Amino acid sequence: MTLGDFKQFIIETLQLAGVTPEMIVDDQPLFGTGLGLDSVDAIELVVALEKRFGLKIAAHEIDRDAFSSPSAMFEFVERRLAQGGTSG
Amino acid sequence: MTSAPNARRVVVTGMGGVSPWGWGIAPLRRALAAGDCAIRSVTRFDATSFPSQIAAEVPPPPPELARSIRGWSRLSFADRYAVAAALEALRSADWPTSPELTTGVFFGSSTGGMWETERFYESWRHRCLERAPRHALATQPVDRPAEAVARAIGASGTVMTVSSACASATLAIGEALDAVRSGDVAIAIAGGADSLCRVTFGGFNALRSVDPRPCRPFRADREGLSLGEGGAALVLEPLESALARGARPLAELCGAGASADVHHMTAPDPQGRGAALALARALEDGACESARVGGINAHGTGTPLNDPAEFHAYERLFGSRAREIPVMVTKASVGHLLGAAGAIEAVATILALVEQRLQPSPGSGAIDPEIPVRLPASSASNALDAMVSINLGFGGCNGAIVLARWSGS
Amino acid sequence: MIREDSIVVTGIGAVGAFGRGRAALAAALARGTPRVSAVDRSSGWHGERAARTALLVDPRAIEGAIPPLEARRMSPPSRFAVVAASDALADAAISVSSERDPDLAVAMATSFGPTSFTQRLVDQLLDEGPAAASPALFIECVANAPAGRVALSARAAGSNSTFVMGEAGSLFALGRAARWIASGRARVTLAGAVDEMTPLLHALLDRFRALARSERDGVERARPFDRRRDGFLAAEGATLVVLEREAAARRRGRQPIARVVGGWSAFDPTAPQSAWGHGHAGLAAALRSGLSRHGTEIDEIDLVVSGASGSRAGDRLEAGVLRRAWGERPLPPIVAPKSVTGEYGGAFIGAALLIAAGNSTMPVLDFDADEAGCGLSLHRGPPYPPPRRTLVSALSSGGAATWLLLERA
Repeated sequence: MTLGDFKQFIIETLQLAGVTPEMIVDDQPLFGTGLGLDSVDAIELVVALEKRFGLKIAAHEIDRDAFSSPSAMFEFVERRLAQGGTSG
Repeated sequence: MTSAPNARRVVVTGMGGVSPWGWGIAPLRRALAAGDCAIRSVTRFDATSFPSQIAAEVPPPPPELARSIRGWSRLSFADRYAVAAALEALRSADWPTSPELTTGVFFGSSTGGMWETERFYESWRHRCLERAPRHALATQPVDRPAEAVARAIGASGTVMTVSSACASATLAIGEALDAVRSGDVAIAIAGGADSLCRVTFGGFNALRSVDPRPCRPFRADREGLSLGEGGAALVLEPLESALARGARPLAELCGAGASADVHHMTAPDPQGRGAALALARALEDGACESARVGGINAHGTGTPLNDPAEFHAYERLFGSRAREIPVMVTKASVGHLLGAAGAIEAVATILALVEQRLQPSPGSGAIDPEIPVRLPASSASNALDAMVSINLGFGGCNGAIVLARWSGS
Repeated sequence: MIREDSIVVTGIGAVGAFGRGRAALAAALARGTPRVSAVDRSSGWHGERAARTALLVDPRAIEGAIPPLEARRMSPPSRFAVVAASDALADAAISVSSERDPDLAVAMATSFGPTSFTQRLVDQLLDEGPAAASPALFIECVANAPAGRVALSARAAGSNSTFVMGEAGSLFALGRAARWIASGRARVTLAGAVDEMTPLLHALLDRFRALARSERDGVERARPFDRRRDGFLAAEGATLVVLEREAAARRRGRQPIARVVGGWSAFDPTAPQSAWGHGHAGLAAALRSGLSRHGTEIDEIDLVVSGASGSRAGDRLEAGVLRRAWGERPLPPIVAPKSVTGEYGGAFIGAALLIAAGNSTMPVLDFDADEAGCGLSLHRGPPYPPPRRTLVSALSSGGAATWLLLERA
């Protein structure tokens, strides 16, 4: 999966009609700005990530650096998958 | 269309409750006074796969109660809590059963018979409904608890339900106040009822807002809310007619106020503007100076976002007194009763006013230094005059009421 | 005559099977026939002989009305309500400011709440387990989600209540809204009703034998008061109206649509859960006493807009109440717009306002009086003069009843 695929996953999960992967900036905050996404979107995304990738993500991880931008999130998922998907 | 809103004073002459402490006010009063917590492992359904597995559940009803109420077996859990609480409230008010008196029922409920609906749905969801038992699917609408009360007592006045999430019962009590003031009804039964169900348990878990341990409102280590269930009811009537019939008021319901945050569907306005507006309106409606307020029954869910929003609302209204006014957190004892929260919390507030004794906050742990409210540690005696009780709901809707000690004048 | 104090309706926003907007609703009434569509029966809920049609919103009618990023998480009823609220404000020539308006309130009625999202959440919990439950779905499962969304979109920071009172809720919301304004709790209120009609809900209503089943020509028709009636047409949508003081409306140069003289409610304790009672005498007395409290003689009612829906027992009770209330006096013309609007979704109040304003007439295409059962007839001509005072009536299964007294402005 590429970062572009990951952005597409975000768009589909959060039903961002009219948004393309190019419109999502790699290293800008995803929640609380630009696209009007909020903490509920963050949790919705976590649920989808857990379901799709078999991850287990703890509540406290959502607020951390891992969710600060699409690229940080992508790296977080890649890293977690490499570790075997368990909560760290 | 005109009305003189504040012409008539309204008093509470009776109350009843069903809580995780049992059926009736007595066990609730003892537990609140002792600062006990009823939040335990869920037994109603298999909760093992949920992130949090605790809630405060109502124990089974006394068999004689079930036998004494007609059609009991067809009532949902929420209906039963409502009916039992209302009947207890009427008994304690020594209700004059006269067909001349128009009685109204004003109840809050968030999910009504959802628990029963879930079970019905689970067994019927892949089948044609032609043969489905009708009584099993009749309980879902959230106006059922109020109607069950109305049927049980033969009410002929306004029978209505507010379903505004966690603010439901408080808003319903506000509507009842207006209805008694205006003479729409001679007596109002006001309260709320909700039962534990998988939709709310699963939903709040999905939102990651349930604490894996019993909720700890305003404390530094709080992680979320704990769900509860139950019902509570107040009997409201005009002061003059209550005194005329020799009833003994428990407290005066002085005022009610409401507002909307216009901030977010679930997160409260971090600045507490909406909550402050509801409180200010309740005080204004009751012609109650904020200096009279000697205690607050907080919404106090224990979620990271709710408690600061509330504290900031208190600061807006009470200034530096926000750190001094004692705050009761009923939810730390009985959990979050959702649509009935405002009703059980009104009961707790009236108990404090009647006994002139604030209820201690269950649990321990440091107060969050960012939101330094005063949680009474032991069941302290105070000269309590007026108290406010507030609830903030999904959708950003807020309700608040002002209750005052009845001292006989 | 202008009455500074009176409360008026100045805007109507409506979404339903008829399309979107006041003109579309008026056109549907003028046609006199409902625009039904087939209900999705693929889930297998429906029996072979079950009703097949309902008054459903064509999604294209509101497509693009809400920016997609805002709409993406909204349940169908939230969408209906947000569009109807925005249209109502525009119809009243009230622009939504960027600031919160603490004196703009929302009084919403719903009978069932957002059922499709609730059903999806329960499916997730049952099929995939708690970890898969969507928080976004849960937020929209509460009955007051549409009211919360309306507050956000209209910046309405005033009181925000969602009332549930079966089929009588929409009138109750309007009556409460007028009361809030009269007593100073709000300056302007958006009031109305919203519901969605899902295949499951449709099948459940059919299981109660509440829905009209197909006639010999294969068409399902709602026939209020008619001998041949056998149920109502289930509908979805939202209608919200703007209420404010007449003086404020005139200052803005708005001609009011109708004055709201008052609203009041009662309960029939003989009604079983989810069915109709036989307490027409009690309800008639409540109707009369409400009229007299609003300074109106029964002879002053020029028109009755009845909530009769085609329900066998419901229409019989409604007719009994009206006949009893009028006694020996002749009944005024009676119209029953639910033959066109169906039951639920609020279009009934929009129709009632248009008819009371003298802006709309309803042809009755084919009527066969039920002399033995209802004993009254729908008005079939000649055209009656525009009514001065109109009584709007809505009885609900389960026992609730609400009336609203309107005056041509």
